[in-house]
Amino acid sequence: MESIRAEKVVKAFGETRALNGVSLEIHPGELFFLLGASGCGKSTLLRCIAGLETPNEGKIFFGDRDVTDLAPHKREAAMVFQSYALWPHLTVAKNISFGLEERKVPKDEIKRRVDEALEMVKMKGYGERSIDAMSGGQQQRVALARALVVRPKCLLLDEPLSNLDAQLRVEMRREIRRIVKEYGLTAVYVTHDQEEALAMADRMAILAGGVIEQLGAPEDIYRNPRSAYVAGFIGETNLLDGQFDHGFVDSIAKWGSIGIEGRVTDESWQPLAGDKVKISIRPEALRICDDGSIVGNVIEKVYLGQRIQYWVETVSGRLQVVELNPQRLYALGDAVKLTVNREDVIFLAK
Amino acid sequence: MKKGYAIGVMASVMVLFAIFFVYPAWTIVSEAFWKKGGGFTLSYVFAVFHDPVYLEGLWNAFLLGITSTMVTLMIAFPLALLGHKYDFAGKKILGVLVLVPLILPPFVGAVGVKEMLGVDGAWNALLIDLGWMDAAHPYDWLANGRFLGIVLMNALHLYPILYMNIAAALANLDPAMEQAAENLGCPPWRRFWKITFPLAMPGVFAGSSIVFIWAFTELGVPLVFDYARVAPVQVYDGIKDLGGNPLPYAIVAIMLAISAVVFAVSKLVIGRSPLGTAPRPKGRSNDVPLKGIRSYMVAGVFLLLFLVASIPHVGVIFLSCSNDWYQTVLPNTLTMRHFDEALGNSLVVPSIKNSLYYASVATVIDLILGLAIAWVVVRSKIRGRGLLDGLVMLPLAVPGLVMAFGYLALSQPGKPFAFLVGADGNPALLLIVAYAFRRLPYIVRSAVAGLQQSNPVLEEAARSLGSTPARSLRKIAIPLIGANLAAGAILAFAFAMLEVSDSLILAQQTEHYPITKAIYTLLSTLGNGEQLAAALGLWAMVFLSVAIMGAAIIGGKRGGLFKV
Repeated sequence: MESIRAEKVVKAFGETRALNGVSLEIHPGELFFLLGASGCGKSTLLRCIAGLETPNEGKIFFGDRDVTDLAPHKREAAMVFQSYALWPHLTVAKNISFGLEERKVPKDEIKRRVDEALEMVKMKGYGERSIDAMSGGQQQRVALARALVVRPKCLLLDEPLSNLDAQLRVEMRREIRRIVKEYGLTAVYVTHDQEEALAMADRMAILAGGVIEQLGAPEDIYRNPRSAYVAGFIGETNLLDGQFDHGFVDSIAKWGSIGIEGRVTDESWQPLAGDKVKISIRPEALRICDDGSIVGNVIEKVYLGQRIQYWVETVSGRLQVVELNPQRLYALGDAVKLTVNREDVIFLAK
Repeated sequence: MKKGYAIGVMASVMVLFAIFFVYPAWTIVSEAFWKKGGGFTLSYVFAVFHDPVYLEGLWNAFLLGITSTMVTLMIAFPLALLGHKYDFAGKKILGVLVLVPLILPPFVGAVGVKEMLGVDGAWNALLIDLGWMDAAHPYDWLANGRFLGIVLMNALHLYPILYMNIAAALANLDPAMEQAAENLGCPPWRRFWKITFPLAMPGVFAGSSIVFIWAFTELGVPLVFDYARVAPVQVYDGIKDLGGNPLPYAIVAIMLAISAVVFAVSKLVIGRSPLGTAPRPKGRSNDVPLKGIRSYMVAGVFLLLFLVASIPHVGVIFLSCSNDWYQTVLPNTLTMRHFDEALGNSLVVPSIKNSLYYASVATVIDLILGLAIAWVVVRSKIRGRGLLDGLVMLPLAVPGLVMAFGYLALSQPGKPFAFLVGADGNPALLLIVAYAFRRLPYIVRSAVAGLQQSNPVLEEAARSLGSTPARSLRKIAIPLIGANLAAGAILAFAFAMLEVSDSLILAQQTEHYPITKAIYTLLSTLGNGEQLAAALGLWAMVFLSVAIMGAAIIGGKRGGLFKV
């Protein structure tokens, strides 16, 4: 168990800067997520941590140790690759025992630990099979076992579930989290799947354009996004163009002719009356009720069983509304009134 | 990979290349441009163009190159296409059998062809027996068709190179590309012209350029056919006595320039092709299983080609075990005595030992150098790795003859390479170096192809599990590309065993002769020299067919062999 720290890491490939001064600290024993759209630099950061890329500038620390120039094989940071990178010329057991052989672990212990690892990923008895005979889910678990069996100081996972079908993915999420917590590993997990991150992460960092947009616990980021990008990337949101105004007690913004009370999450930003702002309202934060102040008509709906999605046309524009466990269904054209808690309305700079 | 290591490898390879490749090549070529008293001149080159005999020789060599390439292409392309498109009876075995012609040095094959098609050969004997030809006036097929005979020998020997190139290019095509065209309503014939053929062009050009340069500079076959009016033979005759006439050197310079242009053009065409960036195909090939008569017809095409290509081999086999084969369809009596006698001949046993020694040491050097070069080219990101990649391919563009004379000139007493020649004139080191640099491209190509096809993530995974770079190379990368390496090594070895130019020119004492020189010497020996040569050729054939089939089976599927 070790902390991982990145200090102002810059990595450029030719003209493009994949990482543009990234700093973060991952606590010991934490399951930390790097999240972002493709090309945001998240995989590059992970590969810098693994030592597979050397940063152009900045430093990387494991605990107090500067590992920036340390060769990958000396870092004890085992990685699970997106493509699994299982060696086709070795059996399942040989793949798993590879790292132990490199560490000159005695033969009988290798056998014991490989068996343990196979059991842990529920692959007991598959040791002598060839890699090609494994399904995608099995290969994923072999890759995980291969990384875990060496008892690494930290575990690095690069979109490990992206090649699996939806059901298996949900199952493996729980498995990976269980194993990471059981072994007390510091784990860094790269994904573009925000649901995966919300479901599994202790904390996460959202990257965009080679910099960290926001870093925090999943619920914090979901509740208090500090930029429109983050608000839109994590979960769904209504992102409205508004004009800031000061109320008597609270902040208010005008969305067209509609005034909405809300709050500012970015402490470094103090909007003035008349400033242009983005207003972020989660669809599930909007409620349909008789004393709502925002009026409109249902123009589209999607019924999803546990919830229903409506698009409501108001005088200022369109809003997406999600109702959970809907009791009353509205038809297209029905007039509805909407209300929202002040806490659920976020004013953002951009 | 550490940058320093990559730069070190590149620097040492560049230096080795400068010393053992550029320097000897330049030594010969520069003779063409330096006046006796010193000073640059182009007059020798112009003199060649004003000498009708030399001009005819160059023109003939060029024609031989072009015609051989065309004939080779006409054989290889349909064959590769059939193999790509269809699954037929005995496809695997036939696919390997058609590679067999590679196992015989073409000039030995030429001896066999002479026995079969000569005035007093088997073919005329058969025609006379059938009463289709007047025994008193036999037709001299070879004298009247000497040019075509050489073309045929070249084509029958070289088509496997082109076949493998085109087959590899076709195999690397994503089946989805053709399926997409099909899906969009493109009929098979148009699909071939619009999709398959353009995408196979890199393979065609890569193979054709090798075949052209090979045929253009071929020395052995014209020598055996007594075809003196062709540039390589003129050079051979002209330079045999070192010094003196500068015109042969000028011919060499011209041939080198033509080879280099052909090579550069083919590189350019390949470089422009979009195939280089296309993703490797995933999933299964889409070859159509043929049933019944059509399956056997396609198999028949392969078999027929194999049989035709085997004519020289059959000739050599018969010759090697004939007592007397003169004006008859088959030898009158068969004997095994030439094999025994060959093994007893003072030339034969040492020559086999010598060739084995020269070729295997050269192959080991090639393996080490080739792997290091491929590693730098594929896995490092240092500047100039593309240059390195192109540099190691150059030996394919330089005629063996040029290199051979370069080495010969530089290894004279007092010259820089004299240290490569042993005290008693033993050319072992010299030949090993010559073989190694000539055959290096094959190993580099196969190692590069292997590394490109194996995902670097597989090595990174080992690194992240605590493996040193050296160990991840040994335990992961080399086993994964082992098949490519083995295939490249076997080819390099086989071609080193068959090497003609260096072997004929650099080995001076009989006890140091390699196989090819021994065969050539036996051919001109009176008595049963030809039969002995054939017997030795047969030994070499058996030996090399095992090697080539091994290479084809190990590495053929993966393609990439012989690629420029």
